[in-house]
Amino acid sequence: MKFSYQWIRDFVPDLDTPAKELEQLITVRTAECDGIHPAGELLRGARAARVLSAEQVPGTHITKAVVDIGDGETVTVACGAPNCREGLRTVWVPLGRKTIQGIESNGMLASAAELEIGREHEGIIAWTSVAIALKPDQVIEIDNKSLTHRPDLWGHFGMAREVAAITKQQLRDPVDLAFLPTGSDSFDVHVGDGTLCPRFSALAFENVRVAPSPYWLQYRLTSVGMKPINNIVDVTNYVAAELAQPMHAFDRDKLHGDRLLVRTAHDGEKVLALDDHEYALSAADGVVCDAAGPVSIAGIMGGMESAVSDTTTRVVFESANWNASQIRKTSARLKLRTDASMRFEKAQDPVNTLRAIARAVELMKIVCPEARPAGGFTDISESLGELPVISLDLDFLNRKLGREIPRQDVVEILDRLEFRTEQAGDRVLRVTVPSWRATKDVAVPDDLVEEVGRMVGYDTITPAPPLVECAPPPDDPKRVWLRDLRALMTGRGYTEVYNYSFLSDPEAERFGLRPADAVRVLNPIASDQNILRSSLIPGIFANLQLNRKHFDSFRLFEIGREIHNQLPAMPKEVLHLAGAVYGADGLFELKRVAESIAPGVRVEPVSDALDYEHPARTADLFLGNVNIGRLFEAHPNMIEGRAAVLDLNLDRVLRERQPLARYAPIGRFPSGAFDLSIIVPLRLHSSQIENSIREFAGTLLERVEYVGQYAGPQVPEGTKSISYRVTVGAPDRTLSSADINAVRAGLIDKLQALGYELKV
Amino acid sequence: MESTLAELEKSSLEEIAKASTIEELEAIRVRVAGRKGGALAEISKGMGKLVPEERARIGKLLNQAKDSVERAIEAKKKLIDNEALAKRLDSEWLDLTLPASGVKPGSLHPLTQIRYELEDLFRSMGFAVLDGPEVEDEYHNFDALNIPSDHPARDMQDTFWLDGGFLLRTHTSPVQVRGMEHYPPPLRMIAPGRVFRNESVDASHEHTFYQLEGMMIDRDVSVGHLIYFMQTLLAAVFRREVKVRLRPGFFPFVEPGFELDIGCLICNGAGCAVCKHSGWVELLPCGLVNPNVLRMSRIDPDKWSGFAFGLGLTRLVMMRYAINDIRLLQSGDLRFLNQF
Repeated sequence: MKFSYQWIRDFVPDLDTPAKELEQLITVRTAECDGIHPAGELLRGARAARVLSAEQVPGTHITKAVVDIGDGETVTVACGAPNCREGLRTVWVPLGRKTIQGIESNGMLASAAELEIGREHEGIIAWTSVAIALKPDQVIEIDNKSLTHRPDLWGHFGMAREVAAITKQQLRDPVDLAFLPTGSDSFDVHVGDGTLCPRFSALAFENVRVAPSPYWLQYRLTSVGMKPINNIVDVTNYVAAELAQPMHAFDRDKLHGDRLLVRTAHDGEKVLALDDHEYALSAADGVVCDAAGPVSIAGIMGGMESAVSDTTTRVVFESANWNASQIRKTSARLKLRTDASMRFEKAQDPVNTLRAIARAVELMKIVCPEARPAGGFTDISESLGELPVISLDLDFLNRKLGREIPRQDVVEILDRLEFRTEQAGDRVLRVTVPSWRATKDVAVPDDLVEEVGRMVGYDTITPAPPLVECAPPPDDPKRVWLRDLRALMTGRGYTEVYNYSFLSDPEAERFGLRPADAVRVLNPIASDQNILRSSLIPGIFANLQLNRKHFDSFRLFEIGREIHNQLPAMPKEVLHLAGAVYGADGLFELKRVAESIAPGVRVEPVSDALDYEHPARTADLFLGNVNIGRLFEAHPNMIEGRAAVLDLNLDRVLRERQPLARYAPIGRFPSGAFDLSIIVPLRLHSSQIENSIREFAGTLLERVEYVGQYAGPQVPEGTKSISYRVTVGAPDRTLSSADINAVRAGLIDKLQALGYELKV
Repeated sequence: MESTLAELEKSSLEEIAKASTIEELEAIRVRVAGRKGGALAEISKGMGKLVPEERARIGKLLNQAKDSVERAIEAKKKLIDNEALAKRLDSEWLDLTLPASGVKPGSLHPLTQIRYELEDLFRSMGFAVLDGPEVEDEYHNFDALNIPSDHPARDMQDTFWLDGGFLLRTHTSPVQVRGMEHYPPPLRMIAPGRVFRNESVDASHEHTFYQLEGMMIDRDVSVGHLIYFMQTLLAAVFRREVKVRLRPGFFPFVEPGFELDIGCLICNGAGCAVCKHSGWVELLPCGLVNPNVLRMSRIDPDKWSGFAFGLGLTRLVMMRYAINDIRLLQSGDLRFLNQF
C-alpha cells in the first residue's frame, strides 16, 4: 500500500516530520515501511509557460519552440510533441541544456505523464493557470502483510490518524456528513442477504459530464499507483484510497429496471467484468444485479456492460460493506484480486459507507460541478450493533508489558487512537473500541496492550529475566542418539547433506517407489517436484552424480524423513539415514557403519535387486526379524564408477536395538584355538559357514573369527577355501588338547556331512 | 710374570680400541679373557709355583687386568651398538609434512551446527527440545494458531497443499500447539525443523528452509522477559552484544506481535546496503502468545501467559558465514559442505 505524504498532511495539517523520519516512526509504531519513493520529481522548478513561436525542423518531428516561462524569461526548447504550437499554455521543466537537431535546447516541455500528474503522454500538457501549485511528493510504501489486521490503514485517513497519534498532532476528518443529500431515495436497492452485505449505501447523480479529472486529483491517484480514468471513476478510487471504502459507479442508463438487488449468485451464472474477462460464478459468490442479471461481482469488480463511459450522463454510486470471508473466498476462487477485494477481505467498517458517499458528493462538486444528486441517499443496513467495550485492568497491562505505565498516559494514547475511555474502578478502564477497529482487529484486553505498548515504544521496556523455577528439561533419547550418529558419521569421514523433500514422478518410477505410497503435492512449484520423497535414495544418487564430477572419492550422508501416504490418515514420517561412499571399497566400510549404529545387524544378500542396485551386490539388513535397511552398490547404469549406499530406517533401529543388559564374566582360564580351512562353492555365503560352525561347535565355543579366503590354483575350480579361527574355553578349567581336538574333530565331521571339504 | 701381565693388558686394550665390530671384540674377549685357553687363564696356571704372599698379589693383579679388559670390551660394544642405532635411526628419516593417513573427517551441515548450538543454549536455559511432523493438518498449522480458513493471514504463507487436505508445514509454530497439547504449563520449549513455502527459488528465496520455534508459558510472562531471552539468545549466536528493537508485527497467534530487528552487524547501525541504510536488520517474528491460542490448547489465559518466537535458522547461517546463495544449503555440493 502506497501513502502520499501530502495526502496524509491534508489530515494532519501541522505535520512537520520529514517523510524519511516519518517512515521510521511508522515502522516502529504501526506497520513496516518498505521504503520511500519520490513522486512528481519534475514538478521541482516547473513553471507555467506559453509557447511564443513554434517552428518545425524540416525532415524531423522536432519543433523549435520559443517559450515564455514567466518573470520575463524566454527559453528555446526542442520539443517532440505533436501538439506544440504557438500560443499553447503548458509547463516547462528545467532539465538542463543540450543540443537536439542543432537546436540549443534549454529544459523541456512536459506531458502529464512525464510530470507524473496524469495519464496523457501523447502531447505536452495544456496548462491554463498561471501558477503550478502541485509540488513533488514522497510516497511511503507499507508492506501489505503488516496491514493484514488493520482495515482502517487501507486508506490515507486511517494512516493519518496513526501519524497524528505518533506525532501528537491534530487530526482533521475529511468527511462532512452535511454533504449527504436528503430526500427520497435516489435509487432503489434491495439486499437479499444481510450476511453477505451488511450495508449498502448508494446515491444516483444526473446531469453528469464525463471528463478527465483535474490534475491535482490525477496526481494523487498516480502517485499511489492508481490509474486515472475519468472524473467519475476517479472519484470512487480517490475515496477508496482516502477512506479505505471501495466504491463503484454504474451507468444508470445501462442498468435494466429501477433497482439494484444484492443476492448470492446462481451456480454457473456469468459476469463479464471490467477487466473484459467473463467469470463463471457459483452459489458461494455474491452479485449485485439489475432487472436483467448480475452487474457486478460483489465487492470485487464491476461489470463491463454497466460501466461508466465518455457518454454517460447518469450514474449510481455504490458504497457497500461486504462480508470479509465471503470476499476472500470468491476472490481466491476466481483468482481475481482487486483494490476493492483486498480492502474488503480485511473486514471493513460498515459505518464508512455513508461517509464515503458524503465525501464523493463533495468531490463531485469539484470534478463535475454540473452534476446533481437525483434524490436523497439510499442506505440499506443491518443493525450495526453496539461498539465493543473492553475492560482494561491497568495491572494486567503493566504485567504484560513488563513496565509501569501511568494511567494518564494510557488514557492519552487510547484517546489519540480514538478509543473512548472511562474510569471503571481504581485500576480499571472501560475502553470503547472505535468502529474501524472493531470488525476483527481489537476485541480483547491483549489487543489494547499492543496499542499502548507500540505507542509508548517497546524500547522503553527494560529486559528482565523471569523469576521461574529452572530444572533441566527432560532430554529426548532419540535426539541424543541422532546427535551421536551424526558425530559417528562425520568422524568416519562422511559429510552431511540436506536434500529436498520433493521428487518427480519419473524419479519415483526410476527408484521403484510405489505410486500408492507417494503423497502428492496439489500445487507443486514445478512439475518435477510434485510428490514427497518416500525414500532418501534419489537425493543421495543426485549427490553422487554431482560430486563425482569434482572428486575421485568421497563420503556423504543424510539424516532425513521419508514421507509415506497413509490416506485417510496423516502421512507417516519415517526417519532414515542414508550414507554413500564413492570411489573406495565402500560396501564393507558401510557395513561397519551399519554395525556401529545397529549392533547385531544381519546382512542378508538378496537375489531380486531393484533396477538401481547392483544385482550381485545388494543385501537387506535385519535386526532380529525386522528389516532395518539396505546395503548395496549402485547399478553402473545409474552411476559411473563404484558407489556404495547404505539406507537405514532409524525409527526401526531405535525400536529394535537391544542395549546391553548385563556383562558376561571374563574367563578365568586360558582359551585354546584352532584354524579350519573349508573348501566350499565359490558363491556360498560365509555367513552360512560361520553359522554352521557356531551351531556345531558346542558349548565350549567362545568365538569364531574369519581369517581369510582364497580361490585359485590350489583349490578346485568353482570353489574357494575359507578359513576361520575357532576359540574354545571353559569357565571352570583349562581345556586339555584332547578337549580341543574333540571339538575340532566333531566340527570337521559335521561340516563334512554337509558336503564341504576340509583341508585337514 | 707381572710384566707379562702388564704387557698383555696393554696390548689387549690397544686391540679393543682398534676393534670396529662386535665380532672382533668377542674374539679378543675369548683370546684374552676366555675361561679355557684365554691368555689370562694361561698366566694364572703358573700361579701355583708362587709363594702365598706373591700368589695373592699376582692374583689380584690378574683380576684387575681381566676386569679392565672386560670393561673395555663392554664399553666398546656399547659404543658400537649406539653408533649402529644412530645410523639406523638416521636411515629412518621420515617426511612428516606428507599428508595424514586415515579417512578425513566429514563435516556436519552448517544448519545442523547452528541448530545444535541453539539447542544447547536453550536447554541450558531450561527449554525442552520438541519435534513435530513436516506434514501437518490445517488445524495445527493454522486454526489452532488463530488463523481460521477465511483469514487473510493465510495468504502470508504460501502453502503447499497435499492429498487429503494435509499440507507441508509453513512454519514450526504447529509444534507449539503439539507441545501445549502434550505438556501442561509451565512449559518452555523449542522446536527446530524444516518448513516449506510455495515460493519460486532464487539466490535469496527457497521453498524449503529451517526455523527454530520457541515458546515459554508461565505466570505473568511479559514483553520484558521476551526481550531478555532474545538478547541472551542473539548475544550467544553472534558472540557479541547485539542491539535489539521490537516493532509491531502482525501474526495472529501472538498479541501483541512483533518483528524483532537487530542493529546491523555489518555497519553497526551507520547504514549500509545489507540493512538498506536503516541500521536495522529484520531477524525474527515474536510476541506474547494470543489468549485464543492458549484457550484452544486448553490452557487458561487468565492463569498463564507466554511468549513465542520463530527464528530463521537458514537466515542465521547465511548471516554467519556470509553465504550469498541460499540454494547452496541444499545443493549437496561437497565443495561447499566440506568447508564447515
